[in-house]
Amino acid sequence: MTDGPLIVQSDKTLLLEIDHEQAAACRRAIAPFAELERAPEHVHTYRLTPLGLWNARAAGHDAEQVVSVLLEYSRYPVPHALLVDVAETMARYGRLQLVSHPTHGLVLHALDRAVLEEVLRSRRTAGLLGTRLDDDDVVVHASERGHLKQVLLKLGWPVEDLAGYVDGEAHPIALDETGWSLRPYQQQAVESFWHGGSGVVVLPCGAGKTLVGAAAMAQSQTTTLILVTNTVSARQWRDELLRRTTLTEDEIGEYSGARKEVRPVTIATYQVLTTRRKGVYTHLELLDARDWGLILYDEVHLLPAPIFRMTADLQARRRLGLTATLVREDGREDEVFSLIGPKRFDAPWKDIEAQGYVAPADCVEVRLTLPDHDRLTYATAEPEDKYRLAASAAGKNKVVEQLVARHPDDQILVIGQYLDQLELLADHLDAPLITGATTVRERERLFAAFRTGEVSRLVVSKVANFSVDLPEAAVAIQVSGSFGSRQEEAQRLGRIMRPKADGRTAHFYAVVARDTVDQEFAAHRQRFLAEQGYAYRILDAEDILEEHTQD
Amino acid sequence: MATFTEHLRARGEPGLTALLAARPDLAAPPPSSVRSLSARAANRSSLDRALAGVDALVLAAVESVLALDGVAGSRGATAADVAHATGTDPARTGPPVRTAVELALLWTEEPLPEDLLPDDLGDVVLHPAPGLDDVLGPYPAGLGPRLVDALGRRSPQAHERLAQELGLDVPAPPTDDDTPSRAEVEADVVARLAARLADPAVVTELLSRAPSGAGAVLAALTWGPPVGRSPVPAPGQESSPGRTAVEWLLRHGLLSVGDSQHVVLPREVALALRDGRTHRDVTVHPEPDGIAVDPRTVDAESAREAENAVRLAGALVTVWGADPPPVLRSGGLGSRELRRAATRMDVPDELAALVVEVAGAAGLVADDGDDPPAIVPTTDADDWLRRDVAARWQTLAEAWLLADRAAWLVGTRDERGSLRSALDPELRRPWAPRLRRSVLDVLAGSPPDHPRALAAAAVHEVLQWRTPRAAPPLHAVEAVLREAGALGVLGAGALSPAGRALLAGATDDGLTPADALTAQLPPPVDEVLLQGDLTGVVPGRPSTELAALLDAAAQVESRGAGLTVRFTDMSVRNALDAGRTAEELLAELSRHARSGVPQPLEYLVLDAARRHGRVRVGLASSYLRADDPALLTGLVEDRGLRDLGLLRLAPTVIAAQAPPAVLLAALRERGLAPVTEDPSGTVVVAAVTARRVRVSRSRRGLRTTDDLAAQADDARERRLRRLAKDLLSADRAETAALGAAGVRTGPATAETGRAPTAGSSAPDARTGSAGRIEEGVGEGTPDPVLALALLREAAAEGREVWIEIVGSAGSSTRRRVRPLRVDAGRVRAIDPEREAELTVAVHRIASVTPA
Repeated sequence: MTDGPLIVQSDKTLLLEIDHEQAAACRRAIAPFAELERAPEHVHTYRLTPLGLWNARAAGHDAEQVVSVLLEYSRYPVPHALLVDVAETMARYGRLQLVSHPTHGLVLHALDRAVLEEVLRSRRTAGLLGTRLDDDDVVVHASERGHLKQVLLKLGWPVEDLAGYVDGEAHPIALDETGWSLRPYQQQAVESFWHGGSGVVVLPCGAGKTLVGAAAMAQSQTTTLILVTNTVSARQWRDELLRRTTLTEDEIGEYSGARKEVRPVTIATYQVLTTRRKGVYTHLELLDARDWGLILYDEVHLLPAPIFRMTADLQARRRLGLTATLVREDGREDEVFSLIGPKRFDAPWKDIEAQGYVAPADCVEVRLTLPDHDRLTYATAEPEDKYRLAASAAGKNKVVEQLVARHPDDQILVIGQYLDQLELLADHLDAPLITGATTVRERERLFAAFRTGEVSRLVVSKVANFSVDLPEAAVAIQVSGSFGSRQEEAQRLGRIMRPKADGRTAHFYAVVARDTVDQEFAAHRQRFLAEQGYAYRILDAEDILEEHTQD
Repeated sequence: MATFTEHLRARGEPGLTALLAARPDLAAPPPSSVRSLSARAANRSSLDRALAGVDALVLAAVESVLALDGVAGSRGATAADVAHATGTDPARTGPPVRTAVELALLWTEEPLPEDLLPDDLGDVVLHPAPGLDDVLGPYPAGLGPRLVDALGRRSPQAHERLAQELGLDVPAPPTDDDTPSRAEVEADVVARLAARLADPAVVTELLSRAPSGAGAVLAALTWGPPVGRSPVPAPGQESSPGRTAVEWLLRHGLLSVGDSQHVVLPREVALALRDGRTHRDVTVHPEPDGIAVDPRTVDAESAREAENAVRLAGALVTVWGADPPPVLRSGGLGSRELRRAATRMDVPDELAALVVEVAGAAGLVADDGDDPPAIVPTTDADDWLRRDVAARWQTLAEAWLLADRAAWLVGTRDERGSLRSALDPELRRPWAPRLRRSVLDVLAGSPPDHPRALAAAAVHEVLQWRTPRAAPPLHAVEAVLREAGALGVLGAGALSPAGRALLAGATDDGLTPADALTAQLPPPVDEVLLQGDLTGVVPGRPSTELAALLDAAAQVESRGAGLTVRFTDMSVRNALDAGRTAEELLAELSRHARSGVPQPLEYLVLDAARRHGRVRVGLASSYLRADDPALLTGLVEDRGLRDLGLLRLAPTVIAAQAPPAVLLAALRERGLAPVTEDPSGTVVVAAVTARRVRVSRSRRGLRTTDDLAAQADDARERRLRRLAKDLLSADRAETAALGAAGVRTGPATAETGRAPTAGSSAPDARTGSAGRIEEGVGEGTPDPVLALALLREAAAEGREVWIEIVGSAGSSTRRRVRPLRVDAGRVRAIDPEREAELTVAVHRIASVTPA
């Protein structure tokens, strides 16, 4: 029995004790094949999943390595059945290959004939496969490459895609590294992605995912289509690309509700792509408008279902997904795996924080006891109104006021879900308000003012959840949210995690009404961050109010 | 020439003791004499039982002796013959032959000396025990009837023709009926023909001139079954090549006619074709290889499963203690109840069924016999719960090993299509303990420090070799392996040290299964790492105290080498419900938490405590309410009503402990005029009561302690030795009595065939030159077992006996007959005097006397 840092459970979770001296080495060794599930302060939990093991296979690891890593670091004997299962699961990957055949085009080639027979007999593959060339090869309709990959993954025989990628239209792009340089982990992320062909890079908010995208473009040297969540985010991508690369304004086009430019580098929103008129996607031609050499997906965890379907047709092009979390509230992680590609790079938030690339954050949940008449209203409310009632409790305004008063010198964001509540708060705090109704120009003006410090407090709705780059924001106060969304919480925390010039700690407050669904949702929302190692402290609103009176 | 009985007698006290120990059915009830012992040993069911326990080598040796006995006029077969016939190394045939002799499946003229080397065994003549041919079927080792019997069925004319074909000069059948008798001449002719055909050289020579097709016919019958269907020529055709060949073979005595449609290959001919072999190949002990497993993995996994099994059984006792499931009318636990238990324990149904069955076998739960009956934890369960994990496991594992129940059948359907339920009395399978032991025995074959995991198929193969006549079906072996795995008797598919100790029972070094398990368990860890996301991780096996704490205050998320738990509002509330205060809980947690209790957890506990007990529930049997608070105050203050247990809940409401009727009466007595409010709406709050049932002493202690077991072994040994001694002394007394009476006659007179008349004294008892089972003393034996045995032996020997037959009218007749076959309750015999064959139902035979 070694004294390793790892405990291998029979339910396929791996417990890594991080205070152990070998913990760092062990983490590096298991990262390729185990999914980090939780990373709280003492023991990180990893899980062995088929997807994770196939990811590892895709990255060139084999079962023997996995087994020997487990045996090397495990403190107790590793369950025999688990080792057998690892070997069996990993052996399933790549029994089938997608290859390009000189005369027949895309071909499904079997290294194991029995698997091919099983797959051919499945009803799910009907219509995806063409004529059978010989015992081991079947023609695949080129348009069904993505769909077939999805189906084969569902059948438990993930295919190894060796058919390669079209080169795409060449376009010179280079990074302009004056006054900055790519961080080591960004460099690693780009390399892992490029080596793997297609896939997803997982980095915390504020860790510079845009730069990873830019570097990938510079590596690819081709025309690029960038898909982002909204117009503001599109503009930020453009600004960042202009600043960090040799690209000029003429080379970057925006394809959104407002403008329809197709240029060597085109930034499009998910929304415009998924717009339908009479049941037809009207802007689908964008995907074929140029011979794209690289397609970038920002915020993969938000990718809407139609984009998945479109992506299924883009399997011949290199795809890079960027996200802070692979957690999808809809559980479609396997589609990300089969259509965008396996996870190519992943770094826990706390690690990046430790390296000083994101600001350390202090998360606090403030619990507010509702006054009796509010409680009575709440107790008798219809279930569907309960969250709204609790989340927009009037008492929160006062708490927010106190919290703002705690940080007189910081740039503060107040984030909420309900417009009435936000308007009230903006009024209370005498701060500008940004909602979905605010024009893009006004938004940009306010964000710019916030960046320069002209405006030190902003009240924002969920429009600011993503991709709004506000490096100076150091305090965020969340008053309400989209029910129990874990990724929203992570995104909001991400807003304040850009490293501060003086290395200050960022503060994230969630104001929650006690003994209501608000509290339950908050617990659910916090789960992802708590698992990432952000422990929430819980304070009573009364203490904060008192603290002020004492001052 | 000795007899089976004599052989038994000659074994002496140690030999008989060994026999009685090896075949316990012979000793219960104790036989009265060596003769009845020998009759019982030749009994079909006893032989079946003895054969069920022997391995393939012993079985081959027994079959071989049986097949060779009487071939070409021989009597018995030597061990060397057996070695040759089974194709095994003569040195290797020694042990199986000795085993067969010890079991009295084979017998020898002289008792085998203890120190006889296997090499010297070669010349010892072995005889099959009487009755064996019945048990092993008409074609032992796939060999047909002996030539003597096959040819004996042919007519004298046919013999003559055959003699001509074989170029044998035989005397013409005598025309004169006087001397020698016609039958004797015939017998002589048959013997000579048989002797000639038994010569392999003759067979080879005959075959060399056989028509084409004859070889193929013989090849098809050579290795058995020796019976083939006679070819029928196609309609309109005189003959076919196959028929021609068969006819030629029949004519030359290489085949015999079985019945009108079948031919049969005589034994000697088959042996010649087989090069004298009775068995084509006899496997020497199969060595299953299996997969080598790290002993540490075996230790860890089996310990984990063992702990888990103990935990589940404990959970079952707790769950059923509060909420006992009802017993089905057919007995057993309904499938819905089983599923509920499975859900409560958070395990699959199959595992839940095993836990329920094992808990039942260990006497932890039992039918309480109430009306309606329910399955309730026993008082023993409380004792069990107080013991440590290893001791608790030992109880469960021993109960499992000895349980005569097939838990794996729960959830399957019986032949009537109804679902088999757990604890169903129908699931009793007396062979189950034997099966478990034999399966584990196979696994115990690998050395303890190099454990090997065996697949069910490999275990099954070994069992088929070990007990070819009683091999369990493969699915039963699979089920036993599965159960053993779930109970931690196996780990990673190999036998664990604790499992080994369990199998060995009380060993000299005094290592109990519990001790072995304790050694396997990793050292307990007394600390938990509490984290900000409200989880806790015990990096190892939690100590008892820690496990209890976490069990009370947290939900388990993952079990294994370590334990992860999550604290939730609900789990903390459970801990508070169980009587801890928030401060106590936090103090306990921080005592175990190396890194302290994180703020969120502390907040959670305090927050839960804040809300805990906000709503209160109490017990009341009745209530009374009135609009007048003053009146109620008066009632509460009244000393005379104190016994009613009145509690004022609100100004206008009082709860009472007394039932409504008592309350009503008391109030009326005090001069009030109360009315009952909605009689059906009386609030009765039932407290949770943990029920227990006391079982009778006999259900407990399924296994005596090891000391007692050892004493019992000694006692058994002494009892058997005494029995053997008694048998022999009874025998000597008989002989002595005969000698004193002076009726003992010489050996010569024993063969004279003097017909004893009813009431006359027996002619001979001791020397018994012909009978294998010794002749009865007095006027034949009325003991049916002995009578049957005598008949069977006479049939085997071809000797004649006197039988007394009771006719349908009740009158008895005596006849001297030569029994041919004793089978299915009937005796087929030939009456030589009348030259007639007769079949007598066994129950009509009043007595049998050797002629």
